[in-house]
Amino acid sequence: MNASSQAKPVRHSRMAMWRRQHAWCLRDSLRQLVRRPIGTALTITVMGLALALPLAFYLLLANVQRLAAAVGDSQAVSVFLKTDVAAGAANQLAANLRSRTDIGAVTVRTPRQGLAELAAMQGFGDAIHALPDNPLPFVLLVEPHAGAERAQVQTLVQALRALPQVDLVQDNGQWRARLDALVALGRRVTLLLAALLGAAAVLVIGNTVRLDIRSRAEEIAVQKLIGASASFVRRPYLYEGAWYGLAAGIVAVLLVLVLEAVLAEPVRDLVASYAGRLHLGGVAWDTLAVTLAIAVALGWLGAWMASSQHLARLGNSE
Amino acid sequence: MIRFDAVSKRYPEGREALIDVSFAVAAGEMLYVTGHSGAGKTTLLKLIARIERPSQGALEVHGRNLVRMKRREIPRLRRDLGMVFQDHRLLMDRSVADNIALPLVIAGVPHDERGQRVRGALEKVGLAGRGKTAPAALSTGEQQRVGIARAIVAQPALIIADEPTGNLDPQLSEEIMQLFVNLRATGCTILIASHDLPLLKRMKQRVLVLDHGHLIDDVPASQVA
Repeated sequence: MNASSQAKPVRHSRMAMWRRQHAWCLRDSLRQLVRRPIGTALTITVMGLALALPLAFYLLLANVQRLAAAVGDSQAVSVFLKTDVAAGAANQLAANLRSRTDIGAVTVRTPRQGLAELAAMQGFGDAIHALPDNPLPFVLLVEPHAGAERAQVQTLVQALRALPQVDLVQDNGQWRARLDALVALGRRVTLLLAALLGAAAVLVIGNTVRLDIRSRAEEIAVQKLIGASASFVRRPYLYEGAWYGLAAGIVAVLLVLVLEAVLAEPVRDLVASYAGRLHLGGVAWDTLAVTLAIAVALGWLGAWMASSQHLARLGNSE
Repeated sequence: MIRFDAVSKRYPEGREALIDVSFAVAAGEMLYVTGHSGAGKTTLLKLIARIERPSQGALEVHGRNLVRMKRREIPRLRRDLGMVFQDHRLLMDRSVADNIALPLVIAGVPHDERGQRVRGALEKVGLAGRGKTAPAALSTGEQQRVGIARAIVAQPALIIADEPTGNLDPQLSEEIMQLFVNLRATGCTILIASHDLPLLKRMKQRVLVLDHGHLIDDVPASQVA
C-alpha cells in the first residue's frame, strides 16, 4: 500500500462535524457536573434561591395589583347619603349629579343591595341576620368623567361633601393612588432585586466555571495540542453554565410552586371574603418558561465571562 | 512534507534554541532527531506543531507556511499531525478509549466510526480489549502505547514524537520504536526526537544531529551504524 492511500487525515463536512462536536460537548459537560454531585447541587441551590426570590416578589406584586383592582376602580367616589334620605330623594339627587359635566356616571345602590353584598362576605352573614332592621343608607357611586385629572376629582369631592343630603364622601381614588404608588415602588424594587440577584447568579456560575477550568488546565492543553479550536475548548464550559442555569431555573420554579401550595388555603379564605370579586392567581406558565429561559441565559453568560477570561489566559502560548 | 530553510528560534529571554537549521523530509520517511539535552530537539518539534513560531527562516509542513500561519489556522494543522509526548499526557479521569477517541471527537467523526477506529488503533499498539481500562491501571509502557494510539487514530500523514521512550527500559523502548517502524509501513511520515543513541543505531533510520541549536549532521539510514 502506498503512502497516499493509507495516511489520510480525517475529513467530514463542516456542518456534520459541528453537530457532532456540540453533541459531544453537551454530554461531556453533563458528565463533568455528575462527577461532582455535591458541588453541583450546592451551586444549583444557591442560584435557584437567587432566582426564586424575585419570582416570588413578582407573584406577590401581581396579586396586590389584582387585589387593588377588585377593591375599587381608580377614580370612583362613594357618596353615603344620610339615613333619612328616601329612595325618591336619592334618585333625584343622582339625576341632578348626572347632569354635571364633570361626572361621567352615577349608580344608585340601595340599602337592600348593600346589605346583600355584606351578607355575601364571609363572616358577616350571622351578624346581619341579627339586625332588627337595615341600618345602611343609599349610596351613590359617582364616576368622574373619563380622563379627569386628580385635582378635578378632588374639586368634585369637595362639591359633593357640601350637599345637604350627603353624610360621607369616600374618595376611592386617593387611597388607590397611594396603592398604585406602592405597587410602582414594589415593581421597581422587584426589578432591582432581580437585577442584583441575577448578577449574583452570573458571578456564582462564573466562579464555578473558573474553578473547573483551572482544575482541567491539563485537559485543555492536551485538547489544544491535538487540534481543538478555541471554540471547541470553550463549548463544554458554556454548556456547563447553561445546565447550571436550567437546573437552577427548575429549582426556582419548584420553590415558587411550593410557596403557592403553602399559601393556597389562606388565599382561598381571602378570596372568599371578597364575594367573588377577587381572583388571585399563581405565576402563569409563560412566566415560568421565561424564568427558565432567563436562568439558562444567566448561566451561559456567567460561563462565557469566566471562559473568555481564563481560557484566553491559558491559551497565550500557541 | 517538512521543509526547514535557515530556521532559527530565539526565545524571548534571549536563548537561541535553533540556529540556521535547514533540512527536508519526504512523505513516508522516518527519521530521528538526536542531540544532548538542550540541543534543540524539542524546539524543532514544537516548530513543526506550531507550538512555537520561528524567529527567522522559512518552515513548511504539508505545504503550509508555518511562519505566516494565522492563529486560527493552527488547530487545522494540528489535526493533521499525530503527537506523542514523553510523559504521555493522558487524561487520567477518562478511559483509555476516551483518550484515544479525543482527536476523532475534535475532528467531528461519527460515534460508530470512532468506536471502530479506536479499536483499530488499540490493536495496532497491542492493547486490544483494554479500551475501558483507566490509564492509571496501565504500566508506563502501556500508557505510552495509548499515547501512540491517540496519535495515530485519526490517520495523520505526519507523526512527531518527543522522547517517546524517555521513561522506558531498553526492552520496552525497542518495542515502542518497533511500533513506529510498523506505522511507517502504513505510509506515515515519522519524526522522533530521542537522545538514546544506542537505540537509534539499532533502528537504522535517517538521523539529524543537533548541537547547541545547530544541525551538525544529517546521517542517511544507510550510514547509520
